[in-house]
Amino acid sequence: MKKNLALLVLIIFLFLLPILVGKYLLYMTIHILLLSLFALGFNLLFGYTGLLSFGQAGFYAVGAYACAKVLLVVPSLLAGIFGGLVVAGVAALVLGILCIRHTRIYFSMLTLSFGMMIFSLAWKWRDMTGGDDGLVGIPRAPLEIPGLLKLNMTPMENYYYVVLIFSLLAIYLFHRLVNSPLGLTLRGIRDSETRAACVGISVVNYRLLSFTIAGVYAGLAGALLPPLENTVTPPVAHWSHSAEPVLATLLGGIYSFSGPIVGAFLFYIIKDIIVRFTEYWLICLGVIVLILVLGFRGGVVSIWERKGGQG
Amino acid sequence: MNGVIRTENLGKYFGELAAVHAVNFALKEGLFTSIIGPNGAGKTTLINLLSGYLFPDSGRIFFQENEITRMPSHKRVKMGISRSFQIMNIFSRLTVGQNILLPVLSRRNKNSSWLAAINSQKDAVKEAETILQEVWLWEKKDLPAGELSHGDQRLLELGIAVASHPQVCFLDEPSSGMNPIERVKVLELVKKLAAERKTTFAIVEHDMDVVFSLSDWIVVMNRGEILAEGKPEDIRNNQEVRDIYLGEEI
Repeated sequence: MKKNLALLVLIIFLFLLPILVGKYLLYMTIHILLLSLFALGFNLLFGYTGLLSFGQAGFYAVGAYACAKVLLVVPSLLAGIFGGLVVAGVAALVLGILCIRHTRIYFSMLTLSFGMMIFSLAWKWRDMTGGDDGLVGIPRAPLEIPGLLKLNMTPMENYYYVVLIFSLLAIYLFHRLVNSPLGLTLRGIRDSETRAACVGISVVNYRLLSFTIAGVYAGLAGALLPPLENTVTPPVAHWSHSAEPVLATLLGGIYSFSGPIVGAFLFYIIKDIIVRFTEYWLICLGVIVLILVLGFRGGVVSIWERKGGQG
Repeated sequence: MNGVIRTENLGKYFGELAAVHAVNFALKEGLFTSIIGPNGAGKTTLINLLSGYLFPDSGRIFFQENEITRMPSHKRVKMGISRSFQIMNIFSRLTVGQNILLPVLSRRNKNSSWLAAINSQKDAVKEAETILQEVWLWEKKDLPAGELSHGDQRLLELGIAVASHPQVCFLDEPSSGMNPIERVKVLELVKKLAAERKTTFAIVEHDMDVVFSLSDWIVVMNRGEILAEGKPEDIRNNQEVRDIYLGEEI
């Protein structure tokens, strides 16, 4: 009960945020929400299925570029977002078939390579992606449902609400998913794939499903980016961007539902504070993650749970 | 030779070593069967082959006269072949209850439902609860399985293996690491489950007293081959078997 109340207060607070804070914090909150979605998807693979992917930025980029491409042709926000997440999902399904037959370090290296292949495509395929210039002049198109409504997205507050609603919906669906029989099945595969196979679970199929869903979440996060920034450039596909959900998840906690979300929040707060003092903020973040991984393997959320006794 | 599961000239070789060689094995339905033999006789490899954990290098395997030689494990489970492992293999981060629920959900083909809460699968939950009581783990159902004692983890292994309602169930040393009292208790439980659930069990076991008192049929393996098989009293009087268990009272 107490937990639900806190959650309700948080959601109301997020809806009131544009009234309470300025443009910069709003912009940052959007980025926190995007990283939350990105990290949640990543953690379906990592914390729930036991597969560490270093290539999730590839699917994020596919979502971002696909959304940008759609918006440059059809100025409709929903078409862009759904276009982005569908294309990213298909990309994840296809590359997933090649990746999920391996586990542990082999899986990680494969995802890293495929992620960097997508980066190379973004970098070199100038006709399609604009090369190192990226795609520019992407409109923050209006949210339009023909004959029903048309909302202007030019003010950032309006776009913030779109991101917030998409994020809450995606987080809610994720919560349903991990607490469903499917979620239990994935956790079973994580604990012991041989045992899972011996209770009748097709390990390969469920890994592929998990990989595809993670790709869809990365794609959704990516698709929400171009309308905000009006541009997409190759670094979104770079492996260092794949590290963000890894760090956020380790920071927050891999074995809890809210870990990646809390981690995404902390990631941006730490970054924002440290960047004011030094450009080497990653070193400081690295030290914090190191301490957490060595001392509190369950991340920040586990410290909270141990103290407060709430999940 | 008919059996619910049978093999023709089954072979599995690791380099020079013939772990299983030219084995013609038939598991008779309803007979509580023990597979015995000295270390390295190929007992576990045979179970690995029959359960699809390994694929054979030669020979064929049939289940109810359907060939399953190269069928993956998860499909064999759906047909009714299940197993437990010699080395602890449970879902250690899941609760004890969830460990049992997973095979039950799998048998009911509910693994992919992704919007319903786990607890809304009322029939599956109820079925899992019955199994938990049968293997004496009801009180511990909310503990993480990894925190159970060794003996309880062995019971959980057994519970997971029977939760998929198999027709045939292989248990690889279900009582290993237990004291003699626990051992008898567990094997009597297996015998009880066999009768109640109409499951044909084949177990690998080292404790000869238990094997000879509980089994209906005994298969003796040595160096990858079947040396002898028969009723306990025949095996007890078999000179070859006595020789490989040199000096041991069987």
